[in-house]
Amino acid sequence: EEEKVGEEKPEVLSPEELEKLKEEVDERKKLISTLRGKPWPMRKKLLTLRESHEFVEKYEGALGKGKSRKLYAYKVMMLKALMGRPYGSMPRKTVPRADEANAMDFAVLWDFGVITNCLFGYAQYSVLFYGYYNSQRAIGWLKFRMPLSYFLVGVGTVAYSYMVVIRTMARNANEDGGGDNNSFNFSWKMFTSWDYLIGNPETADNKFASITTSFKEAILEEQESRKDDNIHLTRFLRVLANFLVLCCLAGSGYLIYFVVRRSQKFALEGLESHSWWERNEVNMVMSLLGMFCPMLFDVISALENYHPRIALQWQLGRIFALFLGNLYTFIIALMDEINLKREEEEVLKLNMTIWEASLYNGTLGVNSTAPPITVHPADIPRGPCWETMVGQEFVRLIVSDTMTTYITLLIGDFLRAVLVRFLNYCWCWDLEAGFPSYSEFDVSGNVLGLIFNQGMIWMGAFYAPCLPALNVLRLHVSMYLQCWAVMCCNVPQERVFKASGSNNFYMAMLLVILFLSTLPAIYTIVTIPPSFDCGPFSGKSRMFDVIQETLESDFPAWFGKVFSYASNPGLVLPFLLLMVLAIYYLQSTSKSYKQANLELKKKLQTVSRTINKVLTLIQHLLYSLCGTCTDIVCSPESKKKGGEHRAHQGKSNHQIPPSATSPPAPRGHRIPGPLPGNQWQPAPSVQRVPNSQRH
Amino acid sequence: MYLFVCILFCVLAVTHLLVCVQVCVCVYLAVCLCTTLIVSVPCSSTMVSGAIALAFLPLVLTFIIRYRYYFVLFYRAVLVRMWYDCTTGLSREERAFQYVLTHAIPGDPESILETFDLWCSKVEFISNIGPKKGKIMDRILSEHCPLTVLELGSHCGYSTVRIARALPLGARLYSVEMDAINAAIAEKIIRLAGFDDDTVELIVSPSDEVIPRLRADYGLERLDFVFMDHWKKCYRPDLQALEGSGLLGKGSVVLADNVLFPGAPNFLRHVRKSGLYEWKIHRATLEYSKGIRDGMAELVYQGIK
Repeated sequence: EEEKVGEEKPEVLSPEELEKLKEEVDERKKLISTLRGKPWPMRKKLLTLRESHEFVEKYEGALGKGKSRKLYAYKVMMLKALMGRPYGSMPRKTVPRADEANAMDFAVLWDFGVITNCLFGYAQYSVLFYGYYNSQRAIGWLKFRMPLSYFLVGVGTVAYSYMVVIRTMARNANEDGGGDNNSFNFSWKMFTSWDYLIGNPETADNKFASITTSFKEAILEEQESRKDDNIHLTRFLRVLANFLVLCCLAGSGYLIYFVVRRSQKFALEGLESHSWWERNEVNMVMSLLGMFCPMLFDVISALENYHPRIALQWQLGRIFALFLGNLYTFIIALMDEINLKREEEEVLKLNMTIWEASLYNGTLGVNSTAPPITVHPADIPRGPCWETMVGQEFVRLIVSDTMTTYITLLIGDFLRAVLVRFLNYCWCWDLEAGFPSYSEFDVSGNVLGLIFNQGMIWMGAFYAPCLPALNVLRLHVSMYLQCWAVMCCNVPQERVFKASGSNNFYMAMLLVILFLSTLPAIYTIVTIPPSFDCGPFSGKSRMFDVIQETLESDFPAWFGKVFSYASNPGLVLPFLLLMVLAIYYLQSTSKSYKQANLELKKKLQTVSRTINKVLTLIQHLLYSLCGTCTDIVCSPESKKKGGEHRAHQGKSNHQIPPSATSPPAPRGHRIPGPLPGNQWQPAPSVQRVPNSQRH
Repeated sequence: MYLFVCILFCVLAVTHLLVCVQVCVCVYLAVCLCTTLIVSVPCSSTMVSGAIALAFLPLVLTFIIRYRYYFVLFYRAVLVRMWYDCTTGLSREERAFQYVLTHAIPGDPESILETFDLWCSKVEFISNIGPKKGKIMDRILSEHCPLTVLELGSHCGYSTVRIARALPLGARLYSVEMDAINAAIAEKIIRLAGFDDDTVELIVSPSDEVIPRLRADYGLERLDFVFMDHWKKCYRPDLQALEGSGLLGKGSVVLADNVLFPGAPNFLRHVRKSGLYEWKIHRATLEYSKGIRDGMAELVYQGIK
């Protein structure tokens, strides 16, 4: 490696020159980091940035690149050792002859369903899926325990996810603090919202807008808490709305069930005789329903007349139920397919013995020294692999979900914005204010989409190990795409309200999803025997037998004994009972602490109020004293102070200039109008007494 | 499959309770279309799968329910009008006039306006200013008490009667109407309401021709109040013509109707950019309709600074 580096850099520098070079490089780096704050025009900044970057890269790389090359080499070596022998060396890792023709067929690859066909092509036999991994116990010179690591990684990711979610929830709960934030709401907002350190007009405008928004939220909350309508009509309408939502959920569940049954029928008949639509029916229907039913729920919830935050929670709960119902219907259908594959496996096992017998038919007896018959790995018949099938289904689901999201974004947001913008000049009604207008950014829907995407990853990660990596890629792309879409095509929601009282609502939902999505995976691990011919657990009767095996062979005997004692039900059950009691105890103590906290706050408020009263009394006394004094001690330096005093007492002789104290042009609540950043000045607020508006 | 269709029909029955019949008709049609599509598709294997088409049903329902008022408006303003145009030989304005003639008390502007409102909400739809927005206009008029008022687009004369009713003594209203037939009907209604030529003068000509000649032909020096309710695309050129003619003075009020639906975006853009006006938008609903949002723009001319 040293020679390689030497080859690249033929010139040799003296120490002084090196020193100077290093100084210059440091200077350039500093320039890059401070470039943003410099008051130069953009073009100059970009040019300087580019030049500096080039300079730094050219002269800094001398040592750095060599180091990174070494590291890379080590990494590759480790990979080789860990991942076992590469493609083509064993039957499991090669494409069977029958599929070889299909796998590289470009017509197949360039079909619109290129991704789905890829899955049935080379990718099936790649690192992406369960079937690639060998069941050999120890691999390479490091004696890497592949099956054990596979199992532990799968279980460990779930445990780690639980820990992270609960830790985040605990942290958020601490920040919340609890307590009574409801007294003197408007007074607090009125007197403490402004930030007196603001010197920039733009910042001042933004601050003004945010304070106005928070006032509006508070007013809305007050209004909602004081409404009292006809209770019976409201209740009836709410029951009706729930009934409609249930109908919709039932309908969607039935539709998915129907479609999955149909796809099983298609699979039995053979997939080639059906169009692309019919092959991908299940995923498309699931994605479409997941996209359109929430909109219907939103419209139905207009019947219920709840406070916006409560309506949002109901909406999220319903979307939750929808996604969960769809997902579980899908999983139940998947179970049927798994059973089918297992039956196929039994049949194949039988055929395998017959085939092997026929191979050795022509050879001589046991004592002969004829060379063993070599069979190309691609010719050995392969057993069906239900785990890979499950992994494939999940990858297909996630890909179709991603595609649906992007296409809906492009059509529903971008295309709509383009049409509204450019057709508005020649359309009879105002497209921006009226019918299509720009789409609103739906915070809750997006968050829920992310949460469910994560749930699907958790579900499928055990059978498609590279799924999280794919998802990270997808999330990166999504982030940039949605960032752009929000800035370019969306307008904020019309109704002003705080979306969540605390952050823990979404984290709690994430926790529930984590639980519900790891449940099927754990069920399959524990109940269904692994395939005999593929995966790291092939040949075992249950997947978790690998732990037993490891305990027996890799650890000393006493460890196994200790473990068997520890996992005795007689020990485990009392331990669980103790944990439950500890949880109950902690819960009750935390409640009492919260109560004590609240009382302390109240006490603090009363004390501060009394102190304030005393202080104002003292001030009044002082001013009345000073008032008599200033007549005597009337010096020019204190005239200003005296003016302030008089203003304070309500007798203001001189007017404070209006420009210093009046707020900027009032911003009304947002009229559905052009996009922000588009030469649009906000309209003043409406339906107030006209005279108060005129400056 | 049949269970699903039954559920759908339950949903429809409920929407019948909630919303009016017309929307229900639309929903029924949509559902029938969908079901025929589903039933017919399995026969043809090359078409898009019926299940995927059915998955679009929530979207269709959402669309229909969210924009139900627009569908109702379309039904009333277009379909019912076409139907009556075919069955009776009269135009919509003539039908309105017949109704007002038979049901209102002559000489009483209040009664004429109420009859108009009744006809527009129950029988057919005409785009008058309507009772809610009319109240806002009455309030503005009573605050400013203008002496010279210009109205662009009187159509049937509803808004003319409304303005004339709120005018102080000695004030004069000039009403401009482009269409001769409508102008004739408006004239009849104004005279029926009891306003003579002193109070209301009807000018039959397009607004862009009249405005430059107002000073010369009618001897107007200044307009205290202008009401715009004609074609929305003419709002901006007419406003600019008024500015150019010098008939607007400081404190003159311009009230423009329907700036949000159907909308006059060019007009609003001009108002915001020119900086000549203190402007405000009064939010209300479209006349004779509950769910469609609309607004009137009130401009107060400030003069060139």
